[in-house]
Amino acid sequence: MIQLEGITKSYPIGKETINVLKTIELTIDNGEFVAIMGPSGSGKSTLMNIIGCLDKPTSGSYFLNGEDVSHYKDSELAKVRNESIGFVFQQFQLLPRINALRNVELPLIYSGVGKKERMVRASEALKKVGLGDRMEHLPNELSGGQKQRVAIARAIVNQPKLILADEPTGALDTKTSISIMEEFTRLNEEGTTVVIVTHESEIADYAKRTIMVRDGVIVSNDWKRWGHDV
Amino acid sequence: MKMMENISMAFCSLKSHTLRSILTMLGLIIGVGAVIIVVAIGQGGEAMLKSQIIGSGNTIELFYQPSEEEIRSNPNIFNDAAFTQEDIRALEQIPEIKQVVASSSAFSSTRFQEKSVDSSIIGINAAYQDLNELNIQKGQRFSTSDYISGRRVAIVSASLQEEMFADKSPIGEVIRVGNQPIEIIGVLEKPTGLFSFGSVEVYLPYQTWKTVFGKSDITQVTLQATSADDLQLAGKKAAQKLNSLHNTEDSYQVINMEEMAQGISQITRVMTLIIGSIAGISLFVGGIGVMNIMLVSVTERTREIGIRMALGATRKQVLTQFLIESIILTLIGGMIGILLGWGGSAIVAGFAGWPPLISWQVVVGGVLFSMVIGVVFGLLPANKASKLDPIEALRYE
Repeated sequence: MIQLEGITKSYPIGKETINVLKTIELTIDNGEFVAIMGPSGSGKSTLMNIIGCLDKPTSGSYFLNGEDVSHYKDSELAKVRNESIGFVFQQFQLLPRINALRNVELPLIYSGVGKKERMVRASEALKKVGLGDRMEHLPNELSGGQKQRVAIARAIVNQPKLILADEPTGALDTKTSISIMEEFTRLNEEGTTVVIVTHESEIADYAKRTIMVRDGVIVSNDWKRWGHDV
Repeated sequence: MKMMENISMAFCSLKSHTLRSILTMLGLIIGVGAVIIVVAIGQGGEAMLKSQIIGSGNTIELFYQPSEEEIRSNPNIFNDAAFTQEDIRALEQIPEIKQVVASSSAFSSTRFQEKSVDSSIIGINAAYQDLNELNIQKGQRFSTSDYISGRRVAIVSASLQEEMFADKSPIGEVIRVGNQPIEIIGVLEKPTGLFSFGSVEVYLPYQTWKTVFGKSDITQVTLQATSADDLQLAGKKAAQKLNSLHNTEDSYQVINMEEMAQGISQITRVMTLIIGSIAGISLFVGGIGVMNIMLVSVTERTREIGIRMALGATRKQVLTQFLIESIILTLIGGMIGILLGWGGSAIVAGFAGWPPLISWQVVVGGVLFSMVIGVVFGLLPANKASKLDPIEALRYE
């Protein structure tokens, strides 16, 4: 499903060129639950952005669901993000002035779904993450865990095959983190591919596979035994 | 994405910054309002000038201007009457002419007891009273018999009453014009128009005027045609008739009111254009205000733009969203400005005493123009928004 072949990413800084990613080879199959770990500056966020079609690789090929998206135009990438990928961010990234339901609706607006259907699908998604009674609340009226659940609802509302979560528990306490991770586990069990970027090994333990990135290369790629220890 | 989504999204985000939106609109409200008021004043003023100069009836003035040759051959030509009563009767025979307004004026002192005032003494015929709408505030108008018998009665202007009688009613008082005693039977209303100076005037029936001054010439002749279309023809025929009666070549002429009206239109149009373009500058400044606020808004909402892009908004959709927001901002501002202009020009019209003239062209133009401003000044901020890098935008604090 996700296939990275010889992906590199470099930024020019002044006259120098910084190679953030150096020849990444990675395959993630449908239905996997993968954690990407690494210290800050390792390039894990850049890798995440490339997988999420927010960024383009400098060289190499990226096949998503069999399509080479590495040379897609901006507008085509926007469509891929909208239909095939759900994002969950550390800082929730909800629009502060609209309520939970409207936030969850956003991806559907950009895929051109009509208003009535949007409402139905957005409220279904919110019910699924246990926020059926918080739909009319503004983000600042919700707790951190609830905000992240709204974000998850927004990520799944367009039924993408892939969910990308960038430090999804970074702004949450331990107890809330556990419930959020259980949410991801549940989604994965339903067949959604989940890729999580984290630097906490407790969080990575929920995943079935952990990929370690350091200095722009993958240094380890471990399949765990089924299940996990909390 | 559908247009309605964009519009409701724009309203949503404008509503979340109500005060800022209103202040931004203010520039446009004032600009559009000012342009509309200026144009309305221009048009109202033009209409009033025209009606004052041409008169509301379809009338045309005849005047007597002997050629230099005629003056040389007959040095006393001006001592003769310009128009005679026979002329008037002859003119009344022309089928295109409805009525002939004739008047003579002379300057003379008017006395009441010890007070003496220099005033113009105007002898008029019945048609004059009809056409010039001499509105009586006190007393009565001349009756038909007053004209025929030449009774010694007068209607005086409001300023004459003020000067000679102060607050007393002059009705029934006898004044002396020259040495002739004349009874005042009516007082005119104060003139309201722009070009009425409230001159001191005494109106007499023409027959009376003739006896008072002992001469029978008519100094001013105005024709009223049966219809506005016949006006020029009636004027031409009248001039021909008089020239043949007096054996002159081209001494009797008509003023071409159409040309005059066009001249006035041109002057007022240029004036409106000049003042209007000054008002237009305020519209331009308003537009810059919109651009400024939209730029602030883009910076402030960088993260929102990042989120939208991550969720699948294309650059084009972001551009459209911001563009529509600025168009709606200017459009609402423009519409309020139109209302303001409407109200403002109604007030001005009320004071100046001309009909409030707001043409639909101005309204449609105002709406279109404010939309254009929305597009022009919204383009830069919207473009800036659409060029953001989603990753950078999501990280923006």
